[in-house]
Amino acid sequence: MSTSLLRVERLTKLYQRGMIQKQTTFSLEADFEIAGPSIVGVMGANGAGKTTMFELITGGNLPSSGRVLVAGQDIHRVRYGERDRLALHYHQSYQLRSFTRNRPNFMLEHAAKDRAKVHLFDEPQFNTQDGYIGFMLDFFRKLRADGKLVFLCLHPNEPVHIDIMNEICERFIFVNKDENRVSRLMYADSLSELSRDARVRTYLGKLAPPL
Amino acid sequence: MALFEAKQLHKRFGDQVVLENISLTFEEGQLTGIMGPNGAGKSTCFNVLTGRFRPDRGSVRFAGEDITGLSSREIASKGISRSFQIMNLFNEETALDNVLLSSPAVRKKGFSMLRDLGRNNTARDSAFAVLSRVGLADKADVSAGSLSYGERRALEIGVALAAEPRLLFLDEPTAGLGAEGTARLAQLIAQLKRQLTIVIIEHDMRFLFNLADRISVIHWGQVIAEGTPNELRENPWVQRSNLGALA
Repeated sequence: MSTSLLRVERLTKLYQRGMIQKQTTFSLEADFEIAGPSIVGVMGANGAGKTTMFELITGGNLPSSGRVLVAGQDIHRVRYGERDRLALHYHQSYQLRSFTRNRPNFMLEHAAKDRAKVHLFDEPQFNTQDGYIGFMLDFFRKLRADGKLVFLCLHPNEPVHIDIMNEICERFIFVNKDENRVSRLMYADSLSELSRDARVRTYLGKLAPPL
Repeated sequence: MALFEAKQLHKRFGDQVVLENISLTFEEGQLTGIMGPNGAGKSTCFNVLTGRFRPDRGSVRFAGEDITGLSSREIASKGISRSFQIMNLFNEETALDNVLLSSPAVRKKGFSMLRDLGRNNTARDSAFAVLSRVGLADKADVSAGSLSYGERRALEIGVALAAEPRLLFLDEPTAGLGAEGTARLAQLIAQLKRQLTIVIIEHDMRFLFNLADRISVIHWGQVIAEGTPNELRENPWVQRSNLGALA
């Protein structure tokens, strides 16, 4: 049996306010598995938890419960300086690797891989005027061809962003924050399938594909 | 065998991954372009290739020799010159003296030799020849500080050439130049092409597309695309951009 590239197991992240009467200000729940190489489009309103989810996958942020297995290894049990050998978080034009530390490095294990298996692109800047988009999309394809798992988080506000997602993404995740401030994920194999949901349509507004 | 070969370079600065597994090769006599958007890691890459920063992982070879981790000075002595994004010329000195100062004769003997070299016709002649190569023959006696911005760029390339390098690195040579200055610089570089191996780091795609034999596109501290200008131009998104329209 081969190991999945990514397993997000009953993951939750809670942010609470108040010492005695605790009030949850943010809550994210995720549970999914992606076995092989793929390019996954991620969407969701600002504050829905897209970046938090990426931070949980790269081991930058600590989950309240559950775990994240990257190529079979629990990312939160890997030494801080070696987590980027499993998963990389690309924040716009640079790559982050800051970590909330909950235990000393020596108590943690070495990364079992040498090069990142999961690459998470957090709202990369796509400028249609300069031509770099084409090279960026080719790079996502190259990573996938090399057996990597690619996440592309975009907040579509121009038709070209929808073109990009349709061109490159094989599956989609929508991070939906409900009226109780609980964020849950919705999954689909295409943007048109995903945007049958009324909440996604509201989010996309004029950019929603025709039904 | 390539003249210059960087393999699997990694560089981290604190919380940031600046270079992630970059491999680059520069063939003898070719002009290679390295381009990428702002903040892509081009300058760090340049600084690792020219010895200012030591890579965390990976190796750099020049003319068959491992030069990984050598200092800028040691790398320069192997025959690699670099010009800087921020020019460092001696403003009080003439254009000719600026070139003379980096001639191998002076570098060997130290600055005190400059006065003697002034009377050394051979050194003066070769410095003058370098000025001619960069189109500044008629500015030989003008102080560097009084030259125009474009001329200062050309002089900086002259200073780099005076060291008689086998490999010349130019970091953002068009920075601060207007359209006319950029066109003139392109002309100058086109003339130098084939005389030595040149690597240009540049965000102006059009400039590189017209000059380079091969281009590596750097973004997120990685090589995200590589090819000849024609190969890269074929990309449908490049066609859709300003660049496609202007190319």
